[in-house]
Amino acid sequence: MPRIQSLPKPQLANNQHGASTLESKPRVFLTRCWCIVLLLFILLLAPTSPVDAGALIENEYLVELIDKGLEAKLASEQEWHLLLHYRKDLFGGYSSEQDDPGFFMSPDGKTNPQAELDATLKQFFSDELVGRSKQPAQCAFVARYEWLRNRLRFDENRLPPMACERFERWFADFEAQSITLIFPSAFLNNPASMFGHTLLRVDQRGQTDSTRILAYTINYAADVPPDAGIAYPIRGIFGGYRGYFSTIPYYLKVQEYRDIENRDIWEYRLNFTGDQVRRLLMHAWELGNASFDYFFFKENCSYHLLALLDYADPTLYLTDEFLLWTVPADTVRLIASKPGLVSGIAYRPSRSNVIRRKREFLPASERELAHRIAQDLGELTSPAFAQLGLAKQAFLLDLASDYLRYRIETTDSPPPELKERNRAVLTARSQLRIPSQEFMVVPFAKQPELGHRTSRASVGGGWRNNDTFEEQTIRAGYHDLLDPEIGYTPNAQIEIASVTMRTYNRINQTRLERATLANIVSLSPMDSVFHAPSWKINAGMNTIRFDSCQLCSNGFLNGGIGAAMESHWLKREVMFAFAEAEANYSRAYEEDHRVGGGGTVGLLTDLTDRWKLMASGSYLRYALGDKSDDFRWFVGQRFTLLQNLSLRLEYNHRDHDNDVMFSMQAFF
Amino acid sequence: MLKKVIMLSVAVLFGMQAGLAMAANPDTGPGCGLGKLAWADYSHQKNIGPQVLMATTNGTFGSQTFGISTGTSGCTNDGKVMAEEKTTLFAQLNFENLSQEMAQGQGEHLASLATLMGVPAEQHAAFFAMTQERYTSLVKTGEASPVAMVKAINDAIATHPVLAQASTR
Repeated sequence: MPRIQSLPKPQLANNQHGASTLESKPRVFLTRCWCIVLLLFILLLAPTSPVDAGALIENEYLVELIDKGLEAKLASEQEWHLLLHYRKDLFGGYSSEQDDPGFFMSPDGKTNPQAELDATLKQFFSDELVGRSKQPAQCAFVARYEWLRNRLRFDENRLPPMACERFERWFADFEAQSITLIFPSAFLNNPASMFGHTLLRVDQRGQTDSTRILAYTINYAADVPPDAGIAYPIRGIFGGYRGYFSTIPYYLKVQEYRDIENRDIWEYRLNFTGDQVRRLLMHAWELGNASFDYFFFKENCSYHLLALLDYADPTLYLTDEFLLWTVPADTVRLIASKPGLVSGIAYRPSRSNVIRRKREFLPASERELAHRIAQDLGELTSPAFAQLGLAKQAFLLDLASDYLRYRIETTDSPPPELKERNRAVLTARSQLRIPSQEFMVVPFAKQPELGHRTSRASVGGGWRNNDTFEEQTIRAGYHDLLDPEIGYTPNAQIEIASVTMRTYNRINQTRLERATLANIVSLSPMDSVFHAPSWKINAGMNTIRFDSCQLCSNGFLNGGIGAAMESHWLKREVMFAFAEAEANYSRAYEEDHRVGGGGTVGLLTDLTDRWKLMASGSYLRYALGDKSDDFRWFVGQRFTLLQNLSLRLEYNHRDHDNDVMFSMQAFF
Repeated sequence: MLKKVIMLSVAVLFGMQAGLAMAANPDTGPGCGLGKLAWADYSHQKNIGPQVLMATTNGTFGSQTFGISTGTSGCTNDGKVMAEEKTTLFAQLNFENLSQEMAQGQGEHLASLATLMGVPAEQHAAFFAMTQERYTSLVKTGEASPVAMVKAINDAIATHPVLAQASTR
């Protein structure tokens, strides 16, 4: 409980003093007498006259402050809007994105900045506990208090400041020196991290690179009840959960992303002044009283962190750039694009990428030896191992331990012998008595701000059967296998909300050619260590030629599971194969539908840094509805012109249906 | 079902159900009811089901325990780890990384533990060598109780010719 300092303070102090005198000098009658008189006096007066007088003074001064605030138009200042998270609404008024009533001092606070300002001033006179954090308003809303105190030049005698011990202790514990934006990159095999995540790290004074994990983070996440079940994704998308701010230690976040989910982490040190760091933390403290309805696409982790950065430096206007959705990588790109905002970038590789790079570093024989050690400790006494130098032995044992820990973290209920084997490997390692050498891991995917932007518009033209066409496509997000891969997780595709309009010239028809709801492909090259399957899912519509129907709309749902392999014959090739199931719905089919299964094989290859090629062939046989089969070919090429501009040449073949298209694609 | 197990574990871990925690895990962690479950259970979310469910919310481990200005609960005060629990909590939650790095004679978790224990940066190499040398006994102690491991390291520092002089705590 914070100490309360308000007007009757002198009496309170006297009271305590008197009480202690009473105890320590019981024999001095006179003193005792005086004390009793004094006590009675206080008991009589304290609850009545000082409070009344205080209330009077308080009211008078409050009126004065409110008037001053009105005159200065504080309620329409940007600072106040940042503090209360007000956004202009469609009708020209204001509405706060904040959804916890305890965050506002006025019942109308969510939509009325002036009423909120007046109520806040009034509450500053009171030691009543407010907000979810249950503190006096001065302490629960330290940033509001500080700003209003400075702008209205509070008279400390008429509005005494309260001691906010909880805040002071919390703030001091950060030992804050600077702020770092943390971006655990997207990793497709975990749908929870398809788009990546962002959080802030509060770096401590005197920290070195090897003690960064001791810092606290500021993290925003939805609070999901344990038995959410299938309602989870739906409620997550439509704001059915509350999001809260927390200060999870960075070491836990590193474990979560790097060790367990195998995601690379990018760290962007922000160039904030000491004052900006303080502003950020003060507002973060206030947000302990806040909760926001969590919307997966827009008001998500990244969005609310931007609001915090906007408050730290009100010249940034970061949240203004996001209207419909906030993709974490976009927020990173935006922050990196602000001149002078980022002072340094650090890379923290995932465990799986550490293993990949260490394996690349070794000749094949030693690579296999490390793998054998992880399976059979008898290898440690083999001549192949014994003849190696100490440093190389240490390297192989470290790699074997990395394998084992990767296996332990990625298998559901790992067999206990994996853990025992890891202990044994580490015991052998500890007996070598030399420290492991620093191993530099070069990232497979460059940092996100070098990648193309999220949305894409294309114009193209070509031939289909006996006709020519022009088409325009717009795609909300995010990345497909042929898009320029810099800054994106390799071999991963997420296309969401794409629409293509096409005009056929000879038959003079404009139609909705294609629409994609979601088209996701995750290729995970397998080898002796990594065994994750590849998978894909695609839902949307396209235009088909089938039987007598020349151009027919066709809705489809396709899903498949398979495997991929990577090779380095030319530059980098990924081969993949899927077993898949598909359902079609179109009036071109008998009974309007067909359902079947089949397979796809394909190749994805980088010919040069700018030139990429993909080829695939599928065969599907439909056993339900219109009993038919389908043989498809696809060959596509992309050439990158600029970070956000590329060219495509694509050929699609189906039965009696050939489609060649050349297009230019711009990312925005 | 799996999620329930996980949430329960998290609750147990941070002493929100202190009675249960004590019953299930007598004396295995720091004095704030912290059980020995930690990430072992979180990591069972590897299979795709729970991950799909987690997809739209960024739901994450520990966000309640470390909630800003949430008052005192378990090992935390307004979301910050209590000063007297910092070292043992760190040792507990990073035990796997710490044991790997002790064997390897270096690493950021080990450097961070040394810092928490008051070993100045210029003595970290000596600290690393010491924990590497005592790897087997430290890990054995730590598997039973991280508190005991921290104590064992402290004792080792106290009797170490170099570290005993340099340590600030």
